[in-house]
Amino acid sequence: MTTAAPDSPLAAAPASRSRRASNAGPMLAVAALALLLYWPVMLLANRGVAQRALDSGADLGCKTALACATQLRNPVIPAPGQFLEGFRALTIPPTAPTSAPYNMLVTGGETLLGLSLASLLGLILATLLVRSRSFERATLPWLIASQTVPIVAIAPMLAVLLGQYGVQGFLPKAIIAAYIAFFPVAIGMAQGLRSPDPLQLDLMRTYRASPGQVFGLLRLPASLPYLFTSLKVAATAALVGSIVAEISTISFSGLGKMLAENSRASDTVALWVIMVYSAVLGIALVALIGWLEKGVTRWRPAR
Amino acid sequence: MTQVSSTRPIVSVRDLGMVFPVPGGQTVALQDANLEIMPGEFISLIGPSGCGKTTLLRLMADLVRPTSGSLSVNGETPDAARQKRAYGYVFQAPALMDWRNVLSNVKLPLEVMNLPREGRDARAREMLKLVGLEKFERSYPWQLSGGMQQRVSIARALAFDPPLLFMDEPFGALDEITRENLNLELLRLWRETGKTVVFVTHSISEAVFLSTRVVVMTARPGKIEGVVNIDLPHPRGEDSREDPRFFQYATEIRELLKKGHA
Repeated sequence: MTTAAPDSPLAAAPASRSRRASNAGPMLAVAALALLLYWPVMLLANRGVAQRALDSGADLGCKTALACATQLRNPVIPAPGQFLEGFRALTIPPTAPTSAPYNMLVTGGETLLGLSLASLLGLILATLLVRSRSFERATLPWLIASQTVPIVAIAPMLAVLLGQYGVQGFLPKAIIAAYIAFFPVAIGMAQGLRSPDPLQLDLMRTYRASPGQVFGLLRLPASLPYLFTSLKVAATAALVGSIVAEISTISFSGLGKMLAENSRASDTVALWVIMVYSAVLGIALVALIGWLEKGVTRWRPAR
Repeated sequence: MTQVSSTRPIVSVRDLGMVFPVPGGQTVALQDANLEIMPGEFISLIGPSGCGKTTLLRLMADLVRPTSGSLSVNGETPDAARQKRAYGYVFQAPALMDWRNVLSNVKLPLEVMNLPREGRDARAREMLKLVGLEKFERSYPWQLSGGMQQRVSIARALAFDPPLLFMDEPFGALDEITRENLNLELLRLWRETGKTVVFVTHSISEAVFLSTRVVVMTARPGKIEGVVNIDLPHPRGEDSREDPRFFQYATEIRELLKKGHA
């Protein structure tokens, strides 16, 4: 058309980019507040334990409860020095089979493998759910039922069963992770495959598009934003799955195995350190999916 | 251009009826419709909501099947015409694919129809030039205004060069200024391409301005109340709206619409 576009499409992009950058400020403010409060909260949490230890006549090498609060062997919240020492002990050397980074990689690998299995299964289930109403009526209640069984109850049984077929070590944990992660993928993906509006479906009909073309050119690309949203949910679920699987089955590595060992030893400092590593792993997994999402759904406006 | 070049109608509607079942009875969406459209015509279907104008268009496009009567499109059943890709359809909303840029959206029908890969880009660019969006081929739909999106969807409908263009209130959601601009552009496209256009609208002035004939429809039951020949010279421009005959035709259509309302 000869008329100039009244609203330039390029104007929208920089505005939304600057809106994104401004998220960092509030987030850093919360982090600073947490750091600031760490010391007083730690003292408050440990003082009671220290007082009770002093009352029972234990020799802690310190006089007052407040002074002892930073030197407890199993503190409620470790003092910064204890925390750093715990980190050093569990991190160096990072390649040792007892180090947290090594075990984090093991758990991360199980989770990623589980997530991949879950995605594959979820994609197949979603396609079938969207394709056939009778399949949906027959399977959906069972899929929901499968998720109501606590994973802690299923994990040992699955591990034993799989062990009888010679599946051991890494794989049973990945399968247990996949067991909880496939559900959000299947449901989110089914919703995404149903998301094209009726006009778009009519449009494909006027082109005489085959069912395969409707799926590949319309339903599948339309479902991608839904897929990534559900993958983020599934990633954290899969991480819980593999840690629970490590705790509740016989395992020789992984963050779950470290958690189980150190909770038996009541080593709170180590437990805190492992918790931080677990959080880092969870954040890394979600960030990985966010990064993938950005690469795949490049058409979307920056948010 | 308005001269009818062939005596064989490109769309022929005979005693066409469409009944929807509704709880506790049925709705007559269209009753005993008869209409013949000649190649190269610009036909508008106008009427209040519920008069069956969209239903009539969807019947021609084989998006729904009639419950009585018969119709032929391009000399065949609507189903066969759709199978042969005889028409392009422009919907009320642009219905663009968010994940495809403008060029790729226009190429969509060419991909679905498996037309030779080499020609696709050139053909899509040609269509974008026709609707004045050649500078926006790399933009994504969310970056365009509503009017620009609808122009992309028109380019997409023309991409595979169908002889017929079905348009279902394509400018209904746009502001009046944009709509009048697009009306002018659409008339130019129609003159340049020689397509037969069937255009659904609820605006009397839009129907008079665009059409060679206006089919006036009324509701409950949906039926064709009358057909008004618009004998305004082409090419039409803004001054056509000032022509005394323009008001005469508008009044005639309004009278027909009222007759159905009484």
